[in-house]
Amino acid sequence: MKKLYLVLTVLVLAALVLPACGPTTPDCTKEEVFCVGLVTDVGKIDDKSFNQSAWEGVKQAESELGAIVQYIETTDAKDYAKNIATFADEGYDVIVTVGFNLGVDTRAAAPTYPNVKFIGIDQDQFEGTIDNVSGLVFPEDQAGFLVGALAAMMTETGKVGGVFGTDAVPPVWRFGEGYRAGAAYIDPAVEVFVVYHSDVGFDKTFTDPEWGAATAKSMIDQGADVIFGGGGKTGNGAVEGAAQAGAYAIGVDSDQYYTLPNAAPRLLSSAMKLITPGVFDLIKLAKDGSFPAGNFYGDAGYAPYHDLDSMVPAEVKAKMEEIAAALLDGSLKTNVPPVKP
Amino acid sequence: MPETEKNNSHPRGFAGLLKAAADAPLIIPILAILTAMIIGGVIIALVGGNPFAAYIGLFQGSFGSLKAISETAVWATPYILAGLAVSLAFKGGLFNIGAEGQLALGAVMAAWIGYALPDMLGVSLPKVVHLTLSVGLGMLTGALWAAIPGWLKAYTGGHEVINTIMMNYIALNLTSFLLNGPMKDPNPLNVSARTPEIAPSARLSPLFEGLRVHWGFIIALLIAVLVWWLLWKTTLGFEIRTVGANPDGAKYAGINVKRTIVLTMALSGLLAGMAGTIEVTGLNYRHELGFSIGYGFDAIAIALLGKTHPAGVVLASILFAAMRNGGTRMQFLTQIPVDIISVIQALILLFVAADAIIRYVYRIRGSEEKLVLTRGWGG
Repeated sequence: MKKLYLVLTVLVLAALVLPACGPTTPDCTKEEVFCVGLVTDVGKIDDKSFNQSAWEGVKQAESELGAIVQYIETTDAKDYAKNIATFADEGYDVIVTVGFNLGVDTRAAAPTYPNVKFIGIDQDQFEGTIDNVSGLVFPEDQAGFLVGALAAMMTETGKVGGVFGTDAVPPVWRFGEGYRAGAAYIDPAVEVFVVYHSDVGFDKTFTDPEWGAATAKSMIDQGADVIFGGGGKTGNGAVEGAAQAGAYAIGVDSDQYYTLPNAAPRLLSSAMKLITPGVFDLIKLAKDGSFPAGNFYGDAGYAPYHDLDSMVPAEVKAKMEEIAAALLDGSLKTNVPPVKP
Repeated sequence: MPETEKNNSHPRGFAGLLKAAADAPLIIPILAILTAMIIGGVIIALVGGNPFAAYIGLFQGSFGSLKAISETAVWATPYILAGLAVSLAFKGGLFNIGAEGQLALGAVMAAWIGYALPDMLGVSLPKVVHLTLSVGLGMLTGALWAAIPGWLKAYTGGHEVINTIMMNYIALNLTSFLLNGPMKDPNPLNVSARTPEIAPSARLSPLFEGLRVHWGFIIALLIAVLVWWLLWKTTLGFEIRTVGANPDGAKYAGINVKRTIVLTMALSGLLAGMAGTIEVTGLNYRHELGFSIGYGFDAIAIALLGKTHPAGVVLASILFAAMRNGGTRMQFLTQIPVDIISVIQALILLFVAADAIIRYVYRIRGSEEKLVLTRGWGG
């Protein structure tokens, strides 16, 4: 019992003394202190995908603009609003919210905190422009177009495949149709199999790697030798399934060479949203006082060939650079509408 | 605490107080929490964080401001109701793992009544009618869903643990189907699996302007009192507890055991369903897929930590809510991953469940009555 007495005494004393040595944080409410906060979607900051790419953009602002930076990892969708408010209440100047799912809460927070600039990644501002919200969106059709062209140039069978999540989500649909258009741009005779996983609910469409792998394999059985997988875990399943079957695989969103080690040896490239530079550009614009409200278009790109670099002929590499440059300066159009007609 | 009152012979002074505290049923959970926090602190220090800063952040985030307290109450509301649901079943000797499914179906029903009923009737309903129907039918759905495994247990001997788990899968997949299909928000801009927003007449009001805490929190506290009254002040409560403690004895005493088992499960489901309806009518104003993943399972932990007593459940709910809510500020201030919260919660449970560890470490002699949680096959 003496031991218990001792423990309780120590704890009571500790409770009395401790508040004095609480954590200190920089005062973001001051004019000269520029603070940038990032709220992740449910997931970790080092997910080697969206969250991480966005955080790298914020880190770049730390080193180049001298910003105070901080992140909060969301563990439950119910916390989106609270996590955003945690930064806003501390006087942060810019808050980056990562992913489509945070769109509603980001737009809801904006009028409450008119002095805060909000950057919403993948959050299309189709409902109208709010002065202090910028939706960082990407021309997925261009990214799809690039890898579609690459697939059409690399195929030996004249057949390529694409496995996607539901086409009811516009970015996914743009990836798929861009892919189709890119392949046709190189050679209209190339047969393109495109399948969307629209036959299941939204809770399943992006989290069905078995379906993705099986669909990829059935396309390979039909003669396809390049498979583009896009749409969360479903797409990852397709990429890994294709790599396993010996076909060329193409990833999506970020350079999946780093996120899908099983597929890495057969990963030709990835259709990328260049999130890091997009986030940095917007933070810089916010600091300079020329924050663009509404949609802000980031750039699309394609990932390096990595292990397969020696397999890609020099003229293909040159053509890819040419197409990327033409898409960027607008001289080449994908002709994919923003949403499924 | 009746256990301490009957013990008149303990010495006076501080040591006497401590002795009394050690005999009280609360001492094990409190020591379990302290021990878990200390071990959690050591883990934080091991990964290079400052445990004191972390805990201060946790406290600030959960109780440090009006907004923080409000958010803690928001989290606590479904925890209290679902925790009471699981506790009530425990008192009746039944292990209701199905709270998650009962909660989900209650929420679906509440949302459906909330958005569809005015259109179906072609009139706008007064708040008192609409809200009551929405919450009431949602609760009833949970009760019916839970009564099925109760009936299977009473009349066929099918074990409620297995059946409630299986009913969870049915409920959650049914919810998924409904939210993706017939009940999906028809707004063309909507891509999520969620219902339309419920009518304003089916919404619980916030308690204060500008804060998210709503009347559901007060209702949950009242329900806790009601459950206590039901269990200890009514004949039905006596029957439930007697069947839970000793079904054979209960039968001998003339209690209709089968009926009591079905009723216990139904009441448990009623409370779990209420947890779902309150989240819909008080907080989210719609049902969305993935909004509640885990309340029904956390509720089991809360019931155990609260020793299945309504007051204990309220305290345990507030603790879990505070930890979940304060985690954000802890992370903001110290960049310690919020996963540490789950580690601490798991440690608390470990020490509550395996209380021999706590008794050994703090030299507490076992004088407490054993907690009867559930019975085996044919029990």
